[in-house]
Amino acid sequence: MRCVLFLLCGTIGPLAAAPSFHKDIQPLLQKHCQGCHQPASKAANLDVTTYEAFAKGGQRGPAFVAGQPEQSLTVRYLLGETKPRMPLAAAALPDAEIALFREWIRDGAKDDTPAAVTETRATVYTQPPVITALQFSPDGQTLAVSGNREILVHTADGKKLLQRLAGRAERILSVAFSADGKLLIAGGGTPAQFGEVQVWDVAAAKLLRSARLTNDTVFGASLAPDASKIAVGCADNTVHVFETATGKELYKIGNHENWVLATVFGVDSKRFVSASGDRAAKLIDANSGAFLENVNLLRGELNAIARHPKKDVVVLGGAERYPYIYLMDRPRNMKIADDTTLVRRLERQDGAITALGWSPDGARIAVASQSAAVNVYDPESGEKKASCTGHSAGIYTVAFSPDSTKLATGGFDGKVRVYATGDCKLLHSFVPVPLSAGAQ
Amino acid sequence: MRIPLLLVSAAVAASAQPVTFLRDVAPILNKTGCTSGPCHGAAKGKNGFKLSLRGYDPQFDYEALLYDLSGRRFNRAEPGRSLMLAKPTQSVAHGGGLRFDKKSPYYKTIYNWIAQGVPYGDPAKDNVNALEVTPAEVAMTGAGGTAQVKVTARFADGQTRDVTSEATVESNTPDVAKVDAAAKVSGERVGEATLLVRYQGKYSTIPVTILNPKPGFAWKQLPQNNYIDQHIDAKLQKLKIQPSPAADDAAFLRRVSLDLTGQLPSPDEIRAFVADPAPAKLKRDRKIDKLIASPAFTDHWTVKWSDLLQSSRKFLGEKGAYGFREWIRESLAANKPYDKMVRELLTSRGSTYDDPAGNYFRATRDAKPTMEKTTQVFLGVRMVCAQCHDHPFEKWTQNQYYQMSAFFSAVGLRPGYEVGEEILYDQRAEYEMKHPKDSRVVAPEFLIASLTPVKIPAGPQRRDALADWLVSKQNPFFAKAVANRIWSYFFGKGIIDPVDDIRASNPPVNPALLEALTKDLTDHNFDLQHLMRTIVRSRTYQASFQTNEWNALDADNFSHAMPRRLNAEPLMDAVAAAAGARPKFPDVPEETNASQVLDPHVGAEGFLDLFGRPTRESACECERRTDFSLPQALNLVNGKTISDAVADPKGRVAKNVLAGKTEAAMVEDLYLASLSRLPTKAEAEYGIKYLSGGPRALRAQDLLWALLNSKGFLYSY
Repeated sequence: MRCVLFLLCGTIGPLAAAPSFHKDIQPLLQKHCQGCHQPASKAANLDVTTYEAFAKGGQRGPAFVAGQPEQSLTVRYLLGETKPRMPLAAAALPDAEIALFREWIRDGAKDDTPAAVTETRATVYTQPPVITALQFSPDGQTLAVSGNREILVHTADGKKLLQRLAGRAERILSVAFSADGKLLIAGGGTPAQFGEVQVWDVAAAKLLRSARLTNDTVFGASLAPDASKIAVGCADNTVHVFETATGKELYKIGNHENWVLATVFGVDSKRFVSASGDRAAKLIDANSGAFLENVNLLRGELNAIARHPKKDVVVLGGAERYPYIYLMDRPRNMKIADDTTLVRRLERQDGAITALGWSPDGARIAVASQSAAVNVYDPESGEKKASCTGHSAGIYTVAFSPDSTKLATGGFDGKVRVYATGDCKLLHSFVPVPLSAGAQ
Repeated sequence: MRIPLLLVSAAVAASAQPVTFLRDVAPILNKTGCTSGPCHGAAKGKNGFKLSLRGYDPQFDYEALLYDLSGRRFNRAEPGRSLMLAKPTQSVAHGGGLRFDKKSPYYKTIYNWIAQGVPYGDPAKDNVNALEVTPAEVAMTGAGGTAQVKVTARFADGQTRDVTSEATVESNTPDVAKVDAAAKVSGERVGEATLLVRYQGKYSTIPVTILNPKPGFAWKQLPQNNYIDQHIDAKLQKLKIQPSPAADDAAFLRRVSLDLTGQLPSPDEIRAFVADPAPAKLKRDRKIDKLIASPAFTDHWTVKWSDLLQSSRKFLGEKGAYGFREWIRESLAANKPYDKMVRELLTSRGSTYDDPAGNYFRATRDAKPTMEKTTQVFLGVRMVCAQCHDHPFEKWTQNQYYQMSAFFSAVGLRPGYEVGEEILYDQRAEYEMKHPKDSRVVAPEFLIASLTPVKIPAGPQRRDALADWLVSKQNPFFAKAVANRIWSYFFGKGIIDPVDDIRASNPPVNPALLEALTKDLTDHNFDLQHLMRTIVRSRTYQASFQTNEWNALDADNFSHAMPRRLNAEPLMDAVAAAAGARPKFPDVPEETNASQVLDPHVGAEGFLDLFGRPTRESACECERRTDFSLPQALNLVNGKTISDAVADPKGRVAKNVLAGKTEAAMVEDLYLASLSRLPTKAEAEYGIKYLSGGPRALRAQDLLWALLNSKGFLYSY
């Protein structure tokens, strides 16, 4: 066997040192294997996206035996000695590449992955990124806006950038302040890599706690009114609930059948509603995680949800373009196709609904969609009161000021716009990130 | 292949050059398979990301990138970290695997597009207006040759770009001409193929001909009976294919009787026809006229049209089906012009008991299936794909699907006074057609703007306008579709095939011939009998099935007859005629033969269904099966149909025996009755010897059984 190995090694040219996992093996795994053997699909229960997971192996056992390439499953599969030959339904790897695996295993299958470089350097922007989340502070003085790997805190009129709260998550998809304004929580992550919940001390601009979860960003993070819990929706169809004080995960629920994109707590913090691409808005007991009932009649895929400031009434919407106002509580046992808790359906929007807001005084609902306008409605009559225009493309996020007089919006075009709630007069408009010279 | 790559790299190097979704990015998503059916083009998308199938709707795809999950797939702050680059390069796990690597020009294009802020582009500048394809046609002498296809896109602003790498080039007959990923064509065997070139919703075709490389071809001109032979010969001569001469009288009589009437000629008829001393052409033309005038002709074509118009008691009730069948019969017996017949089908109103043509609407009932049936049967156009997305191989769009359906959206059916009666009306309460995407009202519009403009009235009464447009002589599909369909009934194959799938990417094998047939039909005011008469008078139709060294491989250009298995009804009637014993159907008059039964309900699950009688569940020509299967063979060998027929006490064998015929006369009669020809000398001698060697009746039954199980009986040739 030895001379065969030597021959093979000869074919891959000068090889001063044994192959490196980081430089040689991982790129091959990435290219040929991880389409199927990854956290999202995990064929044969194998994940090759990290050294640890690769070493652990799948349902047939560890992927390799250090020092013994011929006994290693990876080599056997690549050679076709164990069927089916890998990569499945594709050409066999060239001998030289299989030899790399052999050599690396024979040399001890060492992990030389460099320690994760935590990118904390502030992003240099040449063009404005999309705005995916924004929120007024409870005192109405500042506005927190999503950036790339950071949250930017501005004065509410956008005149001054006060803080840059840089973290690891590339995308910040939701931000929320605690009622006392001391904590800022954010949910997001890096797409197809990890999700993250961040808890910031606003005054100190310090990341107090961070929790990583799942292999994708988390959506629709919301803070209970009593600030005790944080609920987030995930791409693996789950909802995770954390304790704010410790960052500890309390439980996760898995009764949705599609990505969970929005959550909101009830007034008393004892229940929350999660809304998903499976079209359902589910009412959950916040203490136990027990499913209580569906809030809505299933129509279109849901993207957004918001709650009345003082009542357990929610507005939800998504692909179907109609915002629906529902009571969270059912007066009697639910029957199939029973829709008695529907309070009102608002006007159809010009595109799928992307974000919803309910003003703190309860008098207005803001509806954002893939169209460039945010429409403002009177929830009591369903009447459209104003339409806030000026964006060049669709909106991703909306937020009312604590006194309900202002409405902030952001979306594809990367500009924050602050309108007067009453007549949609544009008050301020600004790019929240500092643009470097040469920017467009 | 070097040139397009260089062009792309040049575009990338000058990063100031604007990159747009429409012009630059969408073609990459299509080429690298992102928008394909098994991937993000699937109806439900893949892993939460949905694109339009094969990118037919770039606006939808752009909005998916922009708005799905707050624009998560691009990162303008750090373009290189964008998900839509990380996924296809496998920098993060991607179920679809590696689509391109970081060094590829596609990566750079998408990178620059994100760095430029993900602009959509301007349809007035960036849409593709036309494809220019070279060479216009490919001709090779013999297999083994190659040719490079080059595809150039011309954009709305007048610019052009070599898109050979991004265009899709496919061969409709890969065993004749194969195309590789770099659009290089290689000739595989002698024959013809068509290449379909697609790029951003635009299509083009390239005909490929691989000529027979054998030396020594010398065209021998055979007599030409009419224009059909001229067009056929013109193409055959070009392809170096020598057609077969006309078949002998007995073979002609068998073939033409089966094709026109679905019945075998009787032994007496064959003897008389063969013995007729008149010149071959004259006596054949006379026989053709006689067959067309026979009642069996009407029976036979009634079956065909009843299939296409779905005349079945399942949809129409028994009384309704009888009414519809009688309407079809009378139309055919009177040789009603085809345009008039179709107009009556489309415009009838009121009780379907009073006006049976209205039954046309009762099988499909709703606007959309009725529209699909109407376009498929009368125009040969399949619209069904366009219900959910633009047609992938044609110019038909989803909008057109709903515009055409809108002509039928007001048509309603309500119960009448009698049992099973239905009233057809045009006043449905909510009659407007709605678009599925955004529920907007879609107004009716013709598939192709007519040359003689037909005004579409406002309000629900729209069917008459559709009929005016549809049956017009100017409609480029109507006459062509029926001419092609009728042709296929006489040759087993359309000039465009399948006959109900006419599209640019499925071109006719002989365009000049189809044009001439179409013109002949419209010049004779849609007289279908005239068309059939012209076809069967041609030498091409009458050609022998025997081949020569030059046409043995030809299966497309009608250079010789192709043996076809008898269809279910003619086969059953042929067994009955040969054995002299009528088939028995429950609940029908005794003298009914298979081509006279009402609908597939009669004799269901029996011999007819086994041999591929259509169930009339759809209007597709493909519902009738003409294949030959093991259960069919077993039925013929072991089943009761043939064994009962040959042993029938009132049948042909019994009559021959009772009449005291000689062995020689019996053998001759059985051959004439089954194979429609006299036995050869050897066959006659063997037959006589066999009949003399044991009990005559039993042995004669054996001989007939063997004849009925022979290919010479089961096929038309």
